[in-house]
Order: sequence, then structure tokens, then C-alpha cells
Amino acid sequence: MQVYSIPKSIKKDSKFTFCKGCDHGVAIKIIAEIIDELNLKENTIAISSSGCSVLLYNFLDVDCLEAPHGRACAVATGVKRAHRAKGQDKFVFTYQGDGDFASIGLGESMHSALRGENITAICINNTNYGMTGGQMGPTSTMGQLTTTSPLGRNKEYHGFPIKTAEQIALCEGTQFSARVALYDVKNILKAKKIIKKAFECQLKGGGFSFVEILSSCPTNWKLSPQDSHKKIEEELTKIYPLEIFKDTTND
Amino acid sequence: MDEKVLLKGNIAIAKAALNCGCSCYFGYPITPQTDIGEYLSLEMQKKNLAYVCAESEIGAINMALGAASSGEKVMTSSSSCAVALMQEALSYASSDELPIVLVNVMRAGPGQGYIYPSQGDYNQATIGGGNGDYKTIVLSPSSVQECIDLTYKSFYLAQKYKNPTILLVDGLLGQMAEPAIITKNPYPDIDNSSWILDGAKNRPSRNIHSLEPDQNKLNQHILKLYQKYQQIEKNEPVWEEYLCEDADIILTAFGTMARSIKAVCNHFRKTRIKMGVFRPVTLYPFPYKRLRELSVKARYFIDIEMNMGQMLKDIRLGVLSNAQISFIGKPVGDWLRKEEIISAVNNIIKEQYASI
Repeated sequence: MQVYSIPKSIKKDSKFTFCKGCDHGVAIKIIAEIIDELNLKENTIAISSSGCSVLLYNFLDVDCLEAPHGRACAVATGVKRAHRAKGQDKFVFTYQGDGDFASIGLGESMHSALRGENITAICINNTNYGMTGGQMGPTSTMGQLTTTSPLGRNKEYHGFPIKTAEQIALCEGTQFSARVALYDVKNILKAKKIIKKAFECQLKGGGFSFVEILSSCPTNWKLSPQDSHKKIEEELTKIYPLEIFKDTTND
Repeated sequence: MDEKVLLKGNIAIAKAALNCGCSCYFGYPITPQTDIGEYLSLEMQKKNLAYVCAESEIGAINMALGAASSGEKVMTSSSSCAVALMQEALSYASSDELPIVLVNVMRAGPGQGYIYPSQGDYNQATIGGGNGDYKTIVLSPSSVQECIDLTYKSFYLAQKYKNPTILLVDGLLGQMAEPAIITKNPYPDIDNSSWILDGAKNRPSRNIHSLEPDQNKLNQHILKLYQKYQQIEKNEPVWEEYLCEDADIILTAFGTMARSIKAVCNHFRKTRIKMGVFRPVTLYPFPYKRLRELSVKARYFIDIEMNMGQMLKDIRLGVLSNAQISFIGKPVGDWLRKEEIISAVNNIIKEQYASI
């Protein structure tokens, strides 16, 4: 009896290239499962970004376009609108890090939400710039040690982090905004349910849908995979609560 | 269709874009090109086409990048200091081989400068401000009629070579009205079914990206781009010549400036000086080969631009090494007038070309 198979929307020859204990792999896998379940593989255009999330197209077996750093929501807007101009509705989602979505690309991200652009954005929040070696990012927490906040993030010196899912929920064009985590099986299953809801929101044509995923970065946090997940559970979820901040899909 | 109508350059570009099937426009206001977006906003909404008032020029060009991956004909327009914001995406689109038409209706710089006419973006357009080894096709109209003709051509070349194409328009021309014929688009559509992203149905999934961690593959990719640029340089240079065949002195200019120097040329022809005018229409690919041929007979070149001599280096690269080259220029403001140019040319002839 077969008890497990790799999702159809994962490329057959793909090899795991993320760091040990990184949650990108889990995030991409559940996205692939949702694409399979909603039968979206042949109708999807995924937009990857810069940073670790750029590698999406190495794993996901759907049409994929790489956006310049931070511009994924603008690129997704162009993709969605162009297909609509030829009378076709494509499923378009972005896959971005927190630096990409909420720092360099905050303008493009937030204006897509404000316009109510009918796309879905997935933001992997690991509280630092992972690919470049763990610098302070827009979501680095107070006191967090990074290579550019070596004495810890400090409100007087560095300023405050952004609570992305809460901010995006404030936009009138946002139909769905939530934060999830992947530190245990229960949360992975819950995250999958919520990301699926965000995808379905686009399929219904409601407007901007957004899911922020609290994700581990053992390499740059200098913690084991287990301790990284413990940090998410015990520390990060206190600062970044796991909630659905806005859901108007049934309104 | 063959009737002449009074048209502004900017509106001519907008009408031509619609005529040849542009279905996606993304823009942000900046003088002196805003009326392109204003005109298209109503026309495109009426036809249910894609029009977005973008949050910035960075948003606009990246929306264009996304839309171009669908195979639809895509345009954005802007001006000088705001085209500077688009350079990153132009580099990406060049590497991604995505056909985007970018109209730059030039104003004066550097920085914000002002909305006075200028030709200060020759370098920005032909050399580019993005990173890496890439090239964008650049077309330069000198009349409202050419605004129409070269808009058609921009879309055609962008699709044909899968490359960003810039229509580089003088602010003077964008805002100037003159009679023109709204011709039909003479170019065929290019089959793009082999590369567009429209969902992996009955075919393997495709991805378009510029990231390439394998250095050999990245080298191969750039070499492939340069093979394409060689084809463009071989096939696509276009120029206009006026009385160049027997000329001893050739005046060079691009865009609107080339119009006034024809009158200068006529003036000197009456004084029995064999003068001609050479105008590149494609600024990339630059017509070096023809310039070199002309410099076998013409030994003197006078380059005239509304900037501090940006095309001058391409004239130098084009002509034979023993040709003499002079420059007349003004960076901004009232266009150089016929009389000013005649007087400047006279001075150059007296001081430097006494042997003629």
C-alpha cells in the first residue's frame, strides 16, 4: 500500500538544495499539494523573487517567472492583467521572502493589495536576509542578533519591525490575510488549509489574498532545526501571532 | 486611412500602439509624456484591455515585464529621470528575452532638470543604465509621421528579437502637432507559442529567469544574447541620408534636430559647399557601416545635438580615423535654430576646414 507520494506539481528530478531544517521545502511542498488538489497545474503562473525563494522554479512543475528583487506583486499584476486582456483567467501567485515582500518591495506589495489585485502572495518570514548570510531584515525582532545588528536590534538605533500580515489586512483591496507557521505537523496541516483558502479566494475572484509563513532559518539563526522550530513556537508566535487577520471571502 | 490629420507626437504613438494590437499599458505620470497614458486610459478601458495606473515607474515596468511573458503586446511610457528608475527591469527583461516597448519622451536632466526639450538620454537609451552585458533596440523618430511608423516598428522588432525596445522621442516632438497619416501596421505578428507562459497544459512547464548559478550556463546565455545582438546589428540599422553621395562635409544629428539641419545643408549647397545630412533612425543598432563608407569621400563631419555630445562618440567610432569631427551642441531649452547652426558651421569651416 502506498502511503506517501511526492505531489504531481513537484518536478521529478528536483533535489533539496535548501539548508538543513529550512522550512522552504515544506512550504513549497504544501503549495504543490494544493495546486494538485485544486487542479491548477495547467493554469498556473508562479512568480518567484530574489533571495532563497528565487529557487521556486527548481522545484515547482508549473510555468514560472522570476521577478526582480521586491517586484513580484507588480510582475504578477502584469501577468494576471495580460491574460485577462485576452479573455483568460490564469491562477497567479507570488512566492517571496520577508525582505522581498515587506522591505524592498513594500510599495509594489501594498499597492497590489490596495488595488485589490486578484492575485495571491506567499511571504516566507524568517526574520532575516537568509541568502546573503543573515542580515537584519524588516521583520528582525527586537534584540535579534544578526550580522548587521551585532548588538541586537534596538528601537532607538534600528527602529521597529513590520507586522506584515496585520498591515496587509488593513488594505481595502485585501480579501484575505493570515499568518501561519510550520514548526509541527498540526501547524503544517493548518497552514495548508489556510493557504488553500487564500488560493480559493483568488479563484472566486475576490481580490488580494496573502499568507505570511513564519519559517525557520537554522543556518543564520545558528540553531539546530529542532531549536529553530522551538524558537518559532515559543518566541516568534508571541511577536507574530498566528491568526487570520482578514477574511471577507464569505461577505 | 490615407487622410492626413493634425496630430501630436504623443497621441500618434498612443494611436499607433492601439492600431498594432498593444493590449497592455502600464504607466505613471511625468511631463512631457503624460498624454500617452491619458489617451490610452479611456481607449483601453473601453476595450477591456489591461491598463494600470501604476504606483511608480518601477511598478509600471515590472508590470510590463510580467505582461510580456504572456505574449501580449506590451507598452509603458515615461520620461528621462523616471526612465532611470526602469533600468533594473530593462536589464532583467533583456536577460529574460521579454519584448517590452518603452517610450521615452525626453525632458532635460540631469536629475529632475526640467520639462524643457533636450536630447540628453542618448547614452541612457543606447548604453543603458542596467547591469550586465545587454542591449536594447533604440528607434528615434524625427516627425509625427515617424512616431506612428516607428511605434509599429518598435512592437515588431521587440517581438521579432524578444528584446526590450526603446522609442526615444524628443520632448519637442511628443508635444508638437503636425499633419500625419495614420497608416496601418505593416508588420506581421510573430509566433510566440514556443516560449510564452500561459500554463503548462499539454507541454512541460516553462520558466523564465535571469538567475543562473552555473557559470558555464551563464556564459552560454550571454553568448547566445550576443549572437542575437549580432543579428540585430547586421539586419536592422536604418538611417536617412540627404545629399550625402558627393558630400565633403556631412552634418549628423538624430531625432527632431535632423530636421533643422536639412535647411542648413540647403543653405550651404547654395554657396557651393558640398554638404550632406546623415541621420541614424536606429540608434541601436547604430549605422556604423554606412557612416564609414561615407567617410571615404567626406572628410569632415559636424555632429549637432541637443546635449553635450552623446552621439558624438558613435560618430567617432563610425568614421575612418583620419576624418575630422566637430561638434555643435546645446544641452537644453530652445532648439538650436537654423541661423545659429549656420553661423556655428561657418566658424568651424573658417577655423578648421580652410582647405575646402
